[in-house]
Amino acid sequence: MTTIDSQKDYYAALNVSLNADDDEIKQAYREKAREYHPDSGHGDAERFREVQEAYEVLRDEVLRRAYDRQREKRGLSEDALVGLALSQSRTEAYPLNEPQVFYVLVDIAPHTEEQKEVTRQHLNVALVVDCSTSMSGVRMQNIKIAATDLIESLDSHDRLALVAFSDRAEVLASTHLMDNPRIFKSALAALIPSGGTEIYQGLLAGLEEVRRYASPEMVNHVILLTDGRTYGDEMRALTEARRAAAEGIGISAFGIGEDWNDEFLDDLARSAGGVSRYIRVPSDVRAALKRQIQGLSTMLLQNVKLEVNVAPYVHIQAVYRAAPYLEILEHSENNVIALGNVMADEPVSVVLEIVVAQAVTGERRIARLDMVGEPITASEPIRLRQDVTVTFTLEPKEESAPTNLLNRLARLSVFSLQEKAWRALGVGDVHQATTYLEYAATRLFDMGHRDLGQAAMLEVSRLMHGGDPTKEGRKKLRYGTRSLTSPVR
Amino acid sequence: MTQKANKVVCPSCGAENLPGTLFCIQCGTYLPSGGPLRTEPLPEQEDGRPARPRQEGQEGEEAWALNIEVEVLNTGRKVLLSADREILVGRLDAAHGVFPELDMTTDGGLEQGVSRRHARIYTREGTCFVEDLDSTNGTFLNEERITPYLPYAFRDGDLLMFGTMRSKVHIYPNH
Repeated sequence: MTTIDSQKDYYAALNVSLNADDDEIKQAYREKAREYHPDSGHGDAERFREVQEAYEVLRDEVLRRAYDRQREKRGLSEDALVGLALSQSRTEAYPLNEPQVFYVLVDIAPHTEEQKEVTRQHLNVALVVDCSTSMSGVRMQNIKIAATDLIESLDSHDRLALVAFSDRAEVLASTHLMDNPRIFKSALAALIPSGGTEIYQGLLAGLEEVRRYASPEMVNHVILLTDGRTYGDEMRALTEARRAAAEGIGISAFGIGEDWNDEFLDDLARSAGGVSRYIRVPSDVRAALKRQIQGLSTMLLQNVKLEVNVAPYVHIQAVYRAAPYLEILEHSENNVIALGNVMADEPVSVVLEIVVAQAVTGERRIARLDMVGEPITASEPIRLRQDVTVTFTLEPKEESAPTNLLNRLARLSVFSLQEKAWRALGVGDVHQATTYLEYAATRLFDMGHRDLGQAAMLEVSRLMHGGDPTKEGRKKLRYGTRSLTSPVR
Repeated sequence: MTQKANKVVCPSCGAENLPGTLFCIQCGTYLPSGGPLRTEPLPEQEDGRPARPRQEGQEGEEAWALNIEVEVLNTGRKVLLSADREILVGRLDAAHGVFPELDMTTDGGLEQGVSRRHARIYTREGTCFVEDLDSTNGTFLNEERITPYLPYAFRDGDLLMFGTMRSKVHIYPNH
């Protein structure tokens, strides 16, 4: 018996084109089978089985057509930069007279293996560094090391600016092409900590530098490094971030230590399609910056949006980002979800929680998804469409939710629990917050994340004794559970 | 039809979840997919017949009795196990009272990262599940690492990997 697995690329296994005819497939199979046969010199049992499986499907007209259809559904056959693939918790259901939940995992990933090695994008980046007094010592030393690394990793076509800020901002090196990195290295020496933290000033100066050469063919981005709270200028900073987003300039924010405001940095970065990250020990700055630059230089799409059109009896209950990090996403009234950027080496996954209020027997399209994004390399936005269909029948088949969907939901559920806890705490409901944190701790221990589980229990015991949670614990949990995108160890 | 009967009640915290919910909204507990309404109509809807009691369902139970054959790919060893009881996968350690039904000691389990109590396999209503027992090196279903303590359904011909020990499972009806 032959089963079809649409997750596998049978065409790639035989190294034939999508429209190869029977003879070509047979020929390719003979060659491959000879090459990998366990009895041959460099046999490979695993590959041999793959080749056989691929041949069994592709040689059969009916199976091949069924496989092609499944591939098409997964968005594999379209000739686009990225593919849009769906996995549903259920494809058949009993037509209940009351609301029931369906989960849909949406994967936005670069298409084929070849396209993963995309051409490196040109960067136009401003590095904005907090130079307040609290940054002196180890923090500043590490930032200088990280910045030196960054300067060396950039390409001669990239542009960089270096901005320092405390109570006011100072452009240490204005935007230059990287053909002369020495300018930047000497500017780093001028990073001398003194004064307070006013993020707005630094952000504004950084954005001005990026604007000077901003162009749609480049990745225009501000990287903000801070360790402190900003006072009174949050609103102005957020407005500025939103303006930047409209101009196609992204922002990412790195918080070092415990004293910065995670909600504010999150909002700030999110407003401009970026993300905030927590740097617990200063020596992690280097790796974090490196990864950030790596990500930016492989950017495929920016300003990505998911438009969800639902049937009248259907509504979206919640939307989460499940990769590359976890996030509770907002969906506007018309169900448009802003997803920011898609990088070639970091597929984006989204989980939709869809509620069908009342079902009628038959095959129903409960939602239509359109992904719209702006490729860096082309002027026309790309649009991909997928439908979510469910067959409502009195005898739904036995099916279990796909593994990848379950994995992602398990982590999202823990992440949501601790987010709910902080939200409850924000409105003064200590009891509810404690309950949520306890549940989160249980799940974390279950999943083998002992470290995070212990951190949650620590905060629980502080709350139960009438104390406040620690800033460190809060950040550790928020940012720790946020990066639970793959199983432990 | 009562509305309440369709709600999925969390076994851990008692919260009521909408049908189809996979993780309890209140406490995050995994609610085995679907609940009762997926395959069987509610008792009220079953034209007068009482809900099927378990002990009388011998016919049904019989139809679901399965044998699972695990083929260890590196040694070619095939082990046929009856799935009417839970199958513990791991390495024998008499001193600590670990007696797995599927003992991978002789397949080089230690070297390949198989924990003493690595995973369990069981069937429920004709579906086979594998659950990782928080093993050190993890369990993989078709190359994807599975989350510990969550049951994952698998099918005939699926690849299961315990640590780095690769195996293929075959499911046969038990006659």
